[in-house]
Amino acid sequence: MNVEALKDLLYKMADDQLVLGHRNSEWTGFGPLLEEDIAFSSMAQDKVGQSWQLYKILNELGENDPDTVAFMRNADQFHNCQFVELPNGEYDFSLIRHFLFDTAELLRFQFLSESSFEPLALLAKKIKGETKYHSMHANIWVKQLGSATEESVSRLQTSLNEALPYALGIFEESKFEDDLITSGIFKGEAVLKEAWMGEITKILNKSSLSLPDLTSIEPITGGRNGIHSEHLQPMLDEMSEVFKVDPTAEW
Amino acid sequence: MLESLDPRVNRLGLPDSFGSPFGSSSLDQFETYEAFVMTKPGKPFEHVGIVHAPNEEMAWLFSKEQYTRRGMIYCALCVIKTENVKVSAVTDNDLDVYTTIEGEYSGQEKDSFEVFHLIKRGKQHKHSGSVMAADFEDAMRSANQSIERPKTVYNVWIAKTEDIFSSDEEDADIWDTLKEKKYRDAIDYKAADKIKAFKEEQA
Repeated sequence: MNVEALKDLLYKMADDQLVLGHRNSEWTGFGPLLEEDIAFSSMAQDKVGQSWQLYKILNELGENDPDTVAFMRNADQFHNCQFVELPNGEYDFSLIRHFLFDTAELLRFQFLSESSFEPLALLAKKIKGETKYHSMHANIWVKQLGSATEESVSRLQTSLNEALPYALGIFEESKFEDDLITSGIFKGEAVLKEAWMGEITKILNKSSLSLPDLTSIEPITGGRNGIHSEHLQPMLDEMSEVFKVDPTAEW
Repeated sequence: MLESLDPRVNRLGLPDSFGSPFGSSSLDQFETYEAFVMTKPGKPFEHVGIVHAPNEEMAWLFSKEQYTRRGMIYCALCVIKTENVKVSAVTDNDLDVYTTIEGEYSGQEKDSFEVFHLIKRGKQHKHSGSVMAADFEDAMRSANQSIERPKTVYNVWIAKTEDIFSSDEEDADIWDTLKEKKYRDAIDYKAADKIKAFKEEQA
């Protein structure tokens, strides 16, 4: 088993969950209605919890402890896709991101539940309820607001169009793609992307939203290699502010 | 219409004088749905509360957030639009509500109905059984014959089975969340000893 390839996969997944978890937590107290406030907050905690589990696996593979890894790195050391670091914007954008990302997340963990790397397969099985609900939650809202009023449909459509180039960046391939596939760790980003397109099409077809031709969209990549938008570093500074006051403090 | 500084009051469209009818304009709010949860496989659905929602799927989602918490203390959740729940008379003083009904069960099996019993005032209605009947009144009579009542029933809710929107059995795992989330529990911040030590150090 290629440990470097495995670490690369774990880092990008963990960073995705941590960064989007933090973004979702920014909805706490600002949700468009009480139930959504609760939902986004608790899904945020799920994602942070999942990132912690992934950082723990990395720790067992010789990386630093989860807190240090989460709080002491700079933006260029993060491997999350740029999609998850974008500011929340209005609820329409956050919902569309939640839908596009969490559909991929659900499928990724479904694939990983059959991974040859056991700790990852075990984790994927442990969180299958969480990831299933995240996707269920997003789907119900997209179907509702994607066919409710003229305003809700047009706002979601605009956000969908803006989000798609970034969403395609989720599937940015790493140099270890072949290693991961041949060693049976992960089916690879290309397979994941195919499955994802099928799923999002299925849900969007139940709404008045239309999916633009994805082949004509240039994906926004770089995140997997530490290239990020100007939004990530300020978010990391805020996230690690308390931790950095005294990194040795026991909580 | 009476004007108030509170927009919520204005939205009600209260008439100027007492006794005159309300304006015909509809209220600016969603319809209500009754939410029921099942805590273990085989246990009955229990009423937990009401949500406002534009449709049953959204009502189900809101109920999930509002009335269930994480951990395997739930295994199913269902909602019924309030207007589809028929409510019987209410009795008290140990008088069973079924003794107040009139007529005989028709024996017809046109529709399937779900029956919920209230056996203690102030508690929630619990699912007690299903019956086949011609209509709601008939379902009440059918329930009287076929559903066992170990305790006095003070009130009955009846809904058509087809009007119930429920989570699937296979989706019970949405409540089975990752256990290792100590950071969610405020109880984990045990600081008393540290504060004491700090104060002694400062003294």
